[in-house]
Amino acid sequence: MKRIVVVGGSIAAVTAASWLRVRGFDGTVTLLSAETEAPYTRVPLSKTVLSGLAKDASTALPPLDDSVVLRLGTRAASLDTRARHVILESGEPVPYDGLVIATGGRARRLSPPGMSGERVLRTLADCAALREDLTHARNVLVVGAGLLGMEIASTCRTLGLEVTVIDRDPPLRRVLGPVLAEVITTAAREHGVMLRTAPGGVRLVGSHRPEGVEADGELLTADVIVSAVGDVPAVDWLTGSGLTLDCGVVTDSCGRVADHIVAAGDVAVVRGTRRRPHWTNAVEQARVAAAALLGEEVAGSGFPSYFWTSQFGVDVKIAGEPAGLGEPDLVDVDGGSMLLRWSAGAAATVNHTMPVRKIRQLASAS
Amino acid sequence: MTVSIELVPGRCEGHAVCEAIAPEVFQVDDDGIVQLVPGGDHGAETALAAVRSCPVAALRATP
Repeated sequence: MKRIVVVGGSIAAVTAASWLRVRGFDGTVTLLSAETEAPYTRVPLSKTVLSGLAKDASTALPPLDDSVVLRLGTRAASLDTRARHVILESGEPVPYDGLVIATGGRARRLSPPGMSGERVLRTLADCAALREDLTHARNVLVVGAGLLGMEIASTCRTLGLEVTVIDRDPPLRRVLGPVLAEVITTAAREHGVMLRTAPGGVRLVGSHRPEGVEADGELLTADVIVSAVGDVPAVDWLTGSGLTLDCGVVTDSCGRVADHIVAAGDVAVVRGTRRRPHWTNAVEQARVAAAALLGEEVAGSGFPSYFWTSQFGVDVKIAGEPAGLGEPDLVDVDGGSMLLRWSAGAAATVNHTMPVRKIRQLASAS
Repeated sequence: MTVSIELVPGRCEGHAVCEAIAPEVFQVDDDGIVQLVPGGDHGAETALAAVRSCPVAALRATP
């Protein structure tokens, strides 16, 4: 194997490229990134970058070593697995001996065909546009009460804006479970956020741009409307490639997709599981997938997945997936801080200082 | 390769992604902040991969 092409430009792509070198691959590594910015972290976008506290440049990831070819603004349009070519939008074929699919996700949108200007938050460009809108606004309507939507709401409150969050489900319940969701929901209310639940769902309305949100027959309006309704894996370019797509590129437990092809990060879904679009998962999958592409038999860390959120003065760190596990069977409360554990395989801290290594150990020690 | 790894002051949130990759170079202490392990091989490709893995871009490697 002489030429490895990595399609993508975010953390899974960067980690895969790094890890190929760690595992001794000395051939050509080429990253094809659709974004025009060098690889950066999206994690602070909903927080300090949106508020203006941190500059866009502070999100830049440390550069890859000089031997890795980074092609920015280079979007893959299709994949020919028989010829082993990635075909770019320009029509240029990029040949590979090994391929890493790490195209990530894109923001899911609610706007019907013909409507443009829906605000989302996924990229630096999205963040800059939303930040600009907020400078002229008095009130904001956030559609979607998941982690991202609630983080945006928190940031908007620090900017002094009136904030309403609306969702079909109660805030954060689906991703964090009832106990952690309640902790954050309480904090959000104390910070003056209006939380609305619309069991019948919501609909963006407007002739050309989103002008309001219809929820259970009522029309809500705001100076700024932003959608934070999840992400969809960026697999459009793989249609017709013959690879198995099912809510993402389907991989085995080592990230293998087909001969000479692996996938990692938000675009990938391990067969028989649900997609886990979190930073830590992208890093771990990329390492395993890069090694697998080089023919190594490797397993993941074996630790439960780890993710976190920070909003309304509440820092939550979570190992495992507590959402489906009901009430925790251990709750240690000390003042404003909490340590929670579910014996089925999850643990979390709330404003509690504990090394993540220990949280993950606690989650797996059941 | 000789590099020196440094922390961008005030950025670390203790997510320990670097530590999971290169525990011989990075260790998150009981205060939840990463420390550089004395004597760890900062020039290793593994350490550089860890530097690039920080979700809050709190690590830098300078030649």
